[in-house]
Amino acid sequence: MAEMWINMGPQHPMTHGLWNLRIKVDGEVITDAMPEIGYLHRGMEKIFENKTYVQIGPLTDRLCYGSSFTWNHLYCMTVEKLMGLEIPERAKWIRVMAIELQRIASHLMWLAAYAADLGLLTGFVWAMRDREIFLDLLQALSGSRLTYNYARIGGVAADLPPDFERDCLRAVDYFERKLKEHENLYNGSKIFKMRTVGIGILKREEAINLGVTGPTLRGSNAKIDIRKDQPYEVYDEIDFEVACHTDCDCWARYIVRMTEMKESCKIIRQTLQKMPKGPVRVKTPMLAPSGDAIGVVEDPRGEGMMYLIGDGTDRPYRLKVRSPLFVTLSAAKPMLLGYKVADVVAIMGSIDVCMGETDR
Amino acid sequence: MDLWGISYAISDILMHIVYWIFSGLLGLLPDPLGGFFDGIGLWFVSPGVIAFITMLLEALIVIIVALLNVIILIWVERKVLARIMDSRGPFYVGPLGFFQNIADGAKLFVKQIIIPKKADKFGYQIAPIIFVGSSLLILAAIPLSADFAVKDATGATIPGGILFAFAVFAIAPFSILVAGWSENNKYTLIGGMRSAAQMMSYEIPMLLTVASVFLLVGSFSFGDVVNAQQNIWFGIPLFLGLILFIACMIAEVERIPFDLPEAEAELVEGWTTEYCGMRFGFFMFTEYLRGYAGCGIATALFLGGWIGPDFLPGEIWFLIKAYIVFVVFVFIRGALPRIRTDQILDLGWKRLLPLAVLNLLIAATFKILGWF
Amino acid sequence: MPEQTCERRREKSSLTGLVIKPLWTTFVQTVRNSFGGRPNTVLYPHEKLVLPPRYRGKHALSFTRCIGCGQCVDICPNECMWMKKIEDPVLGKIERPGVDYSRCLFCGLCVEICPTDALLMTDQYELSSTDRQGLRYEPEALRNDDYPVREPKDAILVPGLDVTKCKGHEECVKACPVKCITMVEVEKTGKRIPTIDLSVCTHCGKCVEACPEKALTMTKKLIVMFERPMPVFNLDNCTGCGACVRACPADVIYLLEMPGTGKKSADGKVGKDKKRAVFALEKCIGCGRCAKACRFGALEMVPESKYREAQAAPKPKGKPKKGGKKE
Repeated sequence: MAEMWINMGPQHPMTHGLWNLRIKVDGEVITDAMPEIGYLHRGMEKIFENKTYVQIGPLTDRLCYGSSFTWNHLYCMTVEKLMGLEIPERAKWIRVMAIELQRIASHLMWLAAYAADLGLLTGFVWAMRDREIFLDLLQALSGSRLTYNYARIGGVAADLPPDFERDCLRAVDYFERKLKEHENLYNGSKIFKMRTVGIGILKREEAINLGVTGPTLRGSNAKIDIRKDQPYEVYDEIDFEVACHTDCDCWARYIVRMTEMKESCKIIRQTLQKMPKGPVRVKTPMLAPSGDAIGVVEDPRGEGMMYLIGDGTDRPYRLKVRSPLFVTLSAAKPMLLGYKVADVVAIMGSIDVCMGETDR
Repeated sequence: MDLWGISYAISDILMHIVYWIFSGLLGLLPDPLGGFFDGIGLWFVSPGVIAFITMLLEALIVIIVALLNVIILIWVERKVLARIMDSRGPFYVGPLGFFQNIADGAKLFVKQIIIPKKADKFGYQIAPIIFVGSSLLILAAIPLSADFAVKDATGATIPGGILFAFAVFAIAPFSILVAGWSENNKYTLIGGMRSAAQMMSYEIPMLLTVASVFLLVGSFSFGDVVNAQQNIWFGIPLFLGLILFIACMIAEVERIPFDLPEAEAELVEGWTTEYCGMRFGFFMFTEYLRGYAGCGIATALFLGGWIGPDFLPGEIWFLIKAYIVFVVFVFIRGALPRIRTDQILDLGWKRLLPLAVLNLLIAATFKILGWF
Repeated sequence: MPEQTCERRREKSSLTGLVIKPLWTTFVQTVRNSFGGRPNTVLYPHEKLVLPPRYRGKHALSFTRCIGCGQCVDICPNECMWMKKIEDPVLGKIERPGVDYSRCLFCGLCVEICPTDALLMTDQYELSSTDRQGLRYEPEALRNDDYPVREPKDAILVPGLDVTKCKGHEECVKACPVKCITMVEVEKTGKRIPTIDLSVCTHCGKCVEACPEKALTMTKKLIVMFERPMPVFNLDNCTGCGACVRACPADVIYLLEMPGTGKKSADGKVGKDKKRAVFALEKCIGCGRCAKACRFGALEMVPESKYREAQAAPKPKGKPKKGGKKE
């Protein structure tokens, strides 16, 4: 068969989001790849210019709906930097706890989707079942399951509800036991290894040159994590390890994410122990001074950044969002070259695509 | 339960009713030719016609039994798969959700039929017919017990029953190729070719395993194979053969872990993408039919067929064993991811084929030692 | 890959090595689901989940507590609320908000900004409708006067001043233990009214008891954690029309006469004295309706933190031009 271009998407069960992957195939082997995005572009950055700082809060949840608290928190952190606002200690610890709960929920959703792609329907349902526990915790905390609107400029919306520490510890203990079961299903399965080991190799230099961040980079033998390199909130007071793996393939990214989930459990335990008492919020100011501020966080998918320019009014002049998946998707080509069409699913799944933040 | 006996009784009654209609009712009319309707009525009750109707009824009963079993099988699969996945399966329609499949089938009937413009009409329409027809034909060869079987005048089952079943099994890849090609879609073409390659390459270890059973029995008839297992089921000395046969059967029927041709995540529905409504229903249904046929053959060859203690009739034992094999299929589906096509073919040719030869060697050893 | 090679076993069991471990895991789990407890599924709609108290579902509006300030309408990010004028038999002519659920984000900002805890969110999420109008809930459809407030906002007690009753006795200034009350002259009226510094006030209530005219009453003011603006008054533009008095939902603005400002006609008769607006800002909730109602440019909303300097700054005569901010 001559070389032909195949469209995987935009209507495709694999793509987890709305984007088009054009691959050039020679028989079964891929010779070129071109991702096409923009189907979910909603003009969020333009919308942000017309809303007050308080009104933008709920809308940042919709940037990446898979890990919405991360973006909510990033936005509040950036505005607080611009306004020069100091938030209470307890608010910082609660924020870190919510971030790590969200990280586990987001990685579980990735695991579910990855299993479903590879045909392991049982893994899909089990991961979703365990994700429900964390969604229930976050629902008790904020009132909603997916788009929390829990972080405010000046702290968090409300304090922990009664009995939350007890429930959270029980959930984390239960989850660490369940994680072993999941590992038996994946690590013990030779078929899973056949589908992921040696597939989708992205070398370390290439990853760094292309600007890839997050578990994709850490799976390529580069120990780079914003929580350790540029700590924010109270991450410098918490003891945890950065997950990293030397093989640069899909298996390595899978191991990195599983390890990150375990580390998140450790972090949650530490926050529950070390949290001081006190208020959780200061009054949100109306106006922001002229100037600019940058906020950087470790999103479950990579390095998320917001650049905010204020002009003295109650609306921002410009709010730029740097999404990690925008860069990683652009770097899809080196990961796909030379592999077979059946591997596209495994490789693209291991990047954990969420189009909300890529297209904004 | 004698298949011929039941069919004969039913067809006897039917033909006598027809005779009564002709002679009794219509014979009351004024009759210029004298005995016209009477003669027609008598022809209907002649032994040849009754035998012919009996054969038709036999086929009908076999099909009905098979369809019933398939519906029960689909229900069993959905319930067991749900329990593996920590949920419940159908629960609303009928007791324990038993009629859910009927509801799904009815839904498929009312869907709009869309035929792609550039599809090859003849191939598009004939592929499901060949697929379903050949799969139903397998069931004619598989007896549910010593009596419930398609027999000839002397009362013997088909002499080459196993061979016939496998030969008909192998017609399906042809219809899949036709289906995949005639839909005018790149993906279905890829799916169809993958499927045909996979089915073809797994026929060989399967037939080698069957050959090992043949070595021990000396006959290809189902009745003889099962009778030879009176002392010990063949699954116990030929355990490797049983495992191999189950693995090859899963590949033949295209279930997970071997279902890349119809992988939902990649090719949507693989080679059945462009089929709508009941045609798609036929494909899905036939997959379960072939699964049932495969389980039936595995039971007959390795697990003793209809042999069991006397408190239940032989047919029930056969069905119970076939269902247990099917539940093993469902567990394997629940627990394993999909294997990539080239890895499937790798597995089939490089690993299962040597093991099948090893199995043949073991069977030959047993035969030489005179234990069978 | 190194891991694969070290796991290679004998040819015979490589087939089972593929299958046995995951099969065992699933088998154990299946047995646990079937016999050791219930599966994880909730058979909706026969069974429903229990929702936490903070769940953000459909709104519940208390007509009696709502003062019709409209801050919920202003803060909604998606512009899904509107104020509706209602004639209630008990409450009279009131304005209450309605919600359009085809646009609502269920973010809860409207609940957070409500200064009287009148708008709450229930745990109802089954809001489907067969047409678009069915999702537009009027205030009467949201009305639920008895819905319990699960997490009421923190409240402080504020001595609220009724300016018309105040005669300037200055008893309150003497009674205050922390000296947070100062008498401020109201320009051109010749009256002095007390102004309370809320950051120092201890809510003891002695000023309320001390007032002989009963002009001060302790009112509960809920703390809203968003900074709200306060009105800056420009006397030169005020015509005493009273639009701001009618618009204010929180009873903050009063009209006082300015003696000696009556129009003198040719035949020596003196008309009525002009009036001016006077503000008792302790009760102000920052809704901004007074500034919207004033047609003469006498009021401008300025954030709380910038209020002092804006009050002291020289104010322009005439209505300020529109424009500047992006709309």
